[in-house]
Amino acid sequence: MKLLKKGAEGDIFLTSWNKQKAILKARKKKSYRNPSLDQRIRKQRTIRESEIISDVKLFGISTPLIYYVDTKNCTILMQHIAGTLVSDLSELKLITSCREIGRIVGVMHKNGIMHGDLTTSNFIVSNGKMFVLDFGLANKTKKPEDHAVDLRLFKEILTSAHVKIMNKSWSNFLKGYKTVVGSARFSKITNLVTVIESRGRYANVV
Amino acid sequence: MLCLGIESTAHTFSCAVLEKKGKHGKICSDIRKIYRPPEGEGIHPREASRHHIESSAGVLSECLQKAKVRINDLDLIAYAAGPGLGPCLRVGAVVARSLSTYYQIPIYPVNHAIGHIELGKLLTGAKNPLVLLVSGGHTMLLAFMMNKWRVFGETLDITLGQLLDQFGRSAGFASPCGKQIETLASKTTNYFPLPYSVKGNDVSFSGLLSAAKSLAPQGLEDACYSLQETAFAMIAEATERALSFTKKKELLVVGGVAANKRLSEMLKSVCKRQNCKFFVTPLKFSGDCGSQIAWTGLLESQTKKSSEIENTFVKQSWRLDTVQVNY
Repeated sequence: MKLLKKGAEGDIFLTSWNKQKAILKARKKKSYRNPSLDQRIRKQRTIRESEIISDVKLFGISTPLIYYVDTKNCTILMQHIAGTLVSDLSELKLITSCREIGRIVGVMHKNGIMHGDLTTSNFIVSNGKMFVLDFGLANKTKKPEDHAVDLRLFKEILTSAHVKIMNKSWSNFLKGYKTVVGSARFSKITNLVTVIESRGRYANVV
Repeated sequence: MLCLGIESTAHTFSCAVLEKKGKHGKICSDIRKIYRPPEGEGIHPREASRHHIESSAGVLSECLQKAKVRINDLDLIAYAAGPGLGPCLRVGAVVARSLSTYYQIPIYPVNHAIGHIELGKLLTGAKNPLVLLVSGGHTMLLAFMMNKWRVFGETLDITLGQLLDQFGRSAGFASPCGKQIETLASKTTNYFPLPYSVKGNDVSFSGLLSAAKSLAPQGLEDACYSLQETAFAMIAEATERALSFTKKKELLVVGGVAANKRLSEMLKSVCKRQNCKFFVTPLKFSGDCGSQIAWTGLLESQTKKSSEIENTFVKQSWRLDTVQVNY
């Protein structure tokens, strides 16, 4: 087993399963967290991630296949997806791929799933196909406010990490999102994004 | 270059004189007076501003005396123009404007939050950090890119400081309540489950506040402990996510809540896991102080002309991610 990445959620290892490359995502104990809180978070997220990552396949969203889930040690063994993270793409490609991301997010929302951690490093392009990763914070919800939180987070990532291409990528994302959810739902959700933003600290000019 | 910094955004009225030589800054003096509301109550803006008015002359002359400078020696004056409480901000602005016009000294309005960050960088030597700003007014994760501090994560409702203060006040503590909560929390390890709300790199504390308040009658120590553990774990997780996403190799913690030892301990552990350096502003300068304003004023003066007196407003809502930074 080779350690690929020490993520915030868990350690990502490269390993194998039935002679195929596989990824082991291990949510290790975090010593700084209170043990009972830590146990609760790790177990809940392991179950939720493995469940929802499989659920979304039903609506045609590409995600890694789950091979094995260990709820005691909080590990998930899953398919290895070879490709490039969207955050590592060239600016031009990133801008275009935002439309596809918007479409995918729309499909998830339409089917009552919020991803909860929409960053450009949770999408991977493999052979021209967009895969979604990291469902640890995902949730089954149809509430417009929850969906708006998803959009706001993606917008925040664009305005911070990808500020140069923010406007183009965000409008592409919205275009993709709108084609799936329809214009009525679209305006409802985007209005809510504005409401959430206005609740932010010092966002309203007094 | 000598700069006088005036801070009056919330409960603190402070004056400081800093000297800048090349890239080095020296704090010659930093005097503050803090308004203390009655136990169980928050800052009353009118009372706080009255406190500031009454303290201003004394703090200013003590600050100059200690630095051994006369007003005429000053090269510039900086004041905190926002964000903060309007009546309080105006006191600092009035003092700054009066000195500036009477003695013909260039004046610089400065963003208070940027002040926290810049002083933190000066005192710790952090070069290119991810900044965690935790105070009564802010809970934000920031990184510097393309001439602005960009927000990578923040609270969606109340701040960490507000969470601690509002909980503490409901239990009858005197604001700021962080210290007392920390002391009570250290007496137990009895954890009660509380709402844990991390949304990507963002956090939300409002549900946690209500739940912690209703837990308090069952045992104040347990409630303090559970509140701290939950809230700090949320901050630690959001920080770890932002570190992993931005791939920064330094974390700098600034703001009043940086004084909390348990929070520091957790963040140190996060840094160890993410293999990055940990910096925290020294206790004495983590809270609001004139030094943060003076130093930012000195930095601004490198690239900016001083403000015309008619433009020296205060801005209660002045988000730091709107400030263009050219130095």
